[in-house]
Amino acid sequence: MTNRTDGTDAATANVEGTMTFRQVARETLRFVLSEMKPKGKMLTPFNVITGAIILSGLVMIAIRFAYGLGAVTNLSQNYPWGIWIGFDVVTGVAFAGGAYVLCFVVHILKVKKFEPIIRVTVLNGFLAYVFYAGALLLDLGRPWNVINPIIGNSFGLSSVLFLVAWHFLLYMICEFLEFSPVVAEWLHWPRVRRVLEGLSTGAVIFGITLSTLHQSGLGALFLLAPTKIHPLWYSGNIPVMFFVSSIFAGLSMVMIESFFTQKAFKDRIGHELHAAHDSILLGLGKGAVGALFAYIFLKLIDFVHYKQWVHLGTPMGYWYLFEIVGFVLLPTALFLQAIRQRSAKLVQFTAFLTAAGVILNRLNVSVIAFKWYEAVRYYPSFMEIWVTLAIISMELWVFRWVINRMPVFGEAHQVVEENTAEDMEVVTWKAPAL
Amino acid sequence: MGINRRNFLKVAGAAGGILLAGGAGSSRAAQAPQTSEGGVEFNGMLIDTTKCIGCRACEEACNEANKLPKPKVSFSSESVFEERRDTTTGAFTVLNRFPNEKKPEEPIFVRKQCMHCNQPACASACLCRAMEKTKEAAVIYHKDRCMGCRYCMVACPFDIPRFEYDSPTPFVWKCIFCNERQMRGEQPACSEVCPTGATLFGKKRDLLEIARTRIYTEPDKYVHRIYGEHEVGGTGWLFLMGQPAEKLGLKTNLPTTPYPELTSGFLYGVPLVFVLWPSLLIGLNYLIKDSKADEKKEASHDEQD
Amino acid sequence: MEGTRFIDIYATKGIEYLIVISFLAAFVLFCRYMYQPRKGRATSRIAPENVTRFRIPEGLFYHQGHGWLRPEPGSIGVVGLDDFARKLVGKVDAVDLPAIGSRLAQGEKGWSLVVDSERIPMLSPVAGEVVEVNREVQRSPEILRQDPYGKGWLVKVKSTKVGSNTRNLLSGKLARAWMENALDNLHPLHGESLGPVLQDGGLPVEGIARVLGGAEWVELAKTHLLTDGE
Repeated sequence: MTNRTDGTDAATANVEGTMTFRQVARETLRFVLSEMKPKGKMLTPFNVITGAIILSGLVMIAIRFAYGLGAVTNLSQNYPWGIWIGFDVVTGVAFAGGAYVLCFVVHILKVKKFEPIIRVTVLNGFLAYVFYAGALLLDLGRPWNVINPIIGNSFGLSSVLFLVAWHFLLYMICEFLEFSPVVAEWLHWPRVRRVLEGLSTGAVIFGITLSTLHQSGLGALFLLAPTKIHPLWYSGNIPVMFFVSSIFAGLSMVMIESFFTQKAFKDRIGHELHAAHDSILLGLGKGAVGALFAYIFLKLIDFVHYKQWVHLGTPMGYWYLFEIVGFVLLPTALFLQAIRQRSAKLVQFTAFLTAAGVILNRLNVSVIAFKWYEAVRYYPSFMEIWVTLAIISMELWVFRWVINRMPVFGEAHQVVEENTAEDMEVVTWKAPAL
Repeated sequence: MGINRRNFLKVAGAAGGILLAGGAGSSRAAQAPQTSEGGVEFNGMLIDTTKCIGCRACEEACNEANKLPKPKVSFSSESVFEERRDTTTGAFTVLNRFPNEKKPEEPIFVRKQCMHCNQPACASACLCRAMEKTKEAAVIYHKDRCMGCRYCMVACPFDIPRFEYDSPTPFVWKCIFCNERQMRGEQPACSEVCPTGATLFGKKRDLLEIARTRIYTEPDKYVHRIYGEHEVGGTGWLFLMGQPAEKLGLKTNLPTTPYPELTSGFLYGVPLVFVLWPSLLIGLNYLIKDSKADEKKEASHDEQD
Repeated sequence: MEGTRFIDIYATKGIEYLIVISFLAAFVLFCRYMYQPRKGRATSRIAPENVTRFRIPEGLFYHQGHGWLRPEPGSIGVVGLDDFARKLVGKVDAVDLPAIGSRLAQGEKGWSLVVDSERIPMLSPVAGEVVEVNREVQRSPEILRQDPYGKGWLVKVKSTKVGSNTRNLLSGKLARAWMENALDNLHPLHGESLGPVLQDGGLPVEGIARVLGGAEWVELAKTHLLTDGE
């Protein structure tokens, strides 16, 4: 038995099958603990601020569980859903839509240009679902009963929320499968990695199907409140519009995230990604503007179908115009301009604007235009916002942890066709006719 | 290509297995009768607002029958009518007082409580079937199943379910039509104690007849409409009104389509997407792989020349 | 009369979802059936018959004479023969390696393969002094068949010029092109086919020279290994 001094030896020995289970467990534990140690400086401003937010957020979450939802939120009998649903779940999941769109483009359409960013996008998508759909558990009154619709104790088959919940679960599994080759690379398990890459196409197809359904499903949730949502935002087409807006929301989030990771993780990004960055941004911008364009016309169809112009003269009408003109029409125009001028900076700015528009739209449907006629309206409490920020901070910490350790950027990314062994050219030779 | 197919099986199989395990449970729902044909008919409640004297005996009976906490203000007090009241987690039915335009000295009292819709939005919305419509018409609540997601509150067109925001183990509360008493063959508590018969319990078919008869025989006394006959596809509780509904605090902007039908189109689309999307995507995948393989072959041929 | 009986519009929803699940399972089987390779080993590509595969690992430098060089720290170069050479000559009975201390020159004879008591020399890809020979390969030449690029290394050469020697060698895409060219040049000396073939009509994986060249296979092999003058 050779002396093992670090985790990689354990991994290779594992493949050879020469270690006992106990030794494997011990090595894995040591490896995991060593990876838990933070890299880089501990007391950066970012760490201090987000750390404080997370700690106090956890305290607030404890209060929520000890004293009930009313102690922490501004929810009421009239407004059962607040920003924990309206922002964390409904908007956060839309922003995770970049994962399925890019998986479609890279794995189905085989557009190689976006390969460098597919891993980080899938990671982002996975973490978004874990944390934001996880935030859903905070909002539930009796979260321990969430197991009921899952293990078959009581399936509410008629409910769109049932569908959405199940899809979240299945989709998280798909995303994890999609990302697992990176984990296998990190742990130096090449055979496992190959197996996982073989699963990739299936996971992608299943993931895209699930995504379509639950992105539109989030919209379908609001179909059940026709009298409560302002007619400018309610339509039978909410599911379709949520689906389309998830496309440009996801792509915008990819662009925004790349804006930050370019700065924060300079040392982890390979040369290829740096050089291709602008071209990738423009490509994403083109995708986003296409979806925005379709969205405009969907809104127009609804506008005519439901004769929505009668509502435009009201305060809510002005608010609607503000959302449409400032955050749908304007980004479309800016994207088009940016693409013509090939300006990556303008694309990035417009991505921020588009993301703000998606947040605005989703909050409108779920909170602002919901029961707009009530005298006393809902606004989120300080603690609700704080907990939301805490969840975002936690997600950023996990994101950073993964990026700093796993080959998410610029590593030898997987070849899209199969290879019998790694890093080898193979020339096939057909013998001449004899 | 072999890896793709074989392991695609594993993914879909694993995911399908999870669904299948749960699907076994769902088959119970599938066996539920689509209608209660040839069997049970709905019970209902007819509220004749012209007969109600505002004694609040129904509120008190409801409070006792459901073992709810006693309110601060006693049931014989009239001071509660000074403001508009809503159901609460401790009061499943509440009376509201409205000015009578025809006879100002006799105000009108209208009860507010769960309407026990024919096709309830809350039951359709509930993802754990905690809200359930029984064959007898009561929409009941299963405390053990509820997750506290409050989707039923979002969905209810009448804004009835109430949630315990101040409890770490909250439930949703609303009138359950005294389902247990009905199972025993008794009337609900409120209709039993009503002194004037303003709250009348019976088979819904019979109550509709009674209501129509009253409108026909006293056309000046009643508005020519039974509230709840067509609202949201029909409700189990029907109201006879002496004044138009909006003057009695009853919602008039409700559609006549039952709420479950608002999402049935989308939910019907779900299996369609599940069938079409994988087929289209795998088709695209192969077409593109083939064309890229051809491109590669041509490119390598060009290189050799 | 409407509205007097219980109606469940979602009564069949459970069955619909079960159908979806069974569709997904059947779909996978369907795809598998349509696109299953004839004898599917999951790790192998679907290759038509009589196609042989020659491996050219990256990170190595190749000589026209089908030797390879792997620079190592300390001015050491590891040398061996490539997949093409190995498959060309077939089963190697013995390897005749230069003595330690002897000097090799790039493009000059480096070592010989003994096949069927015929001696086939090969060119050295690098110049330098032999500091180590692979005794394992000398003992069991079978290793050349299993792992010509790893355990099947032949000699280790020390020279300060290892780095500069690589400039005359091929790697990466150029190596690939060169290999394809070399394969294209492989055609039989005579018209008829001789020798054992695989059951499905393909060429044997080893001893291509023998099949193509018949009685003059040694000459053929030397020609392709650029040692036909030796």
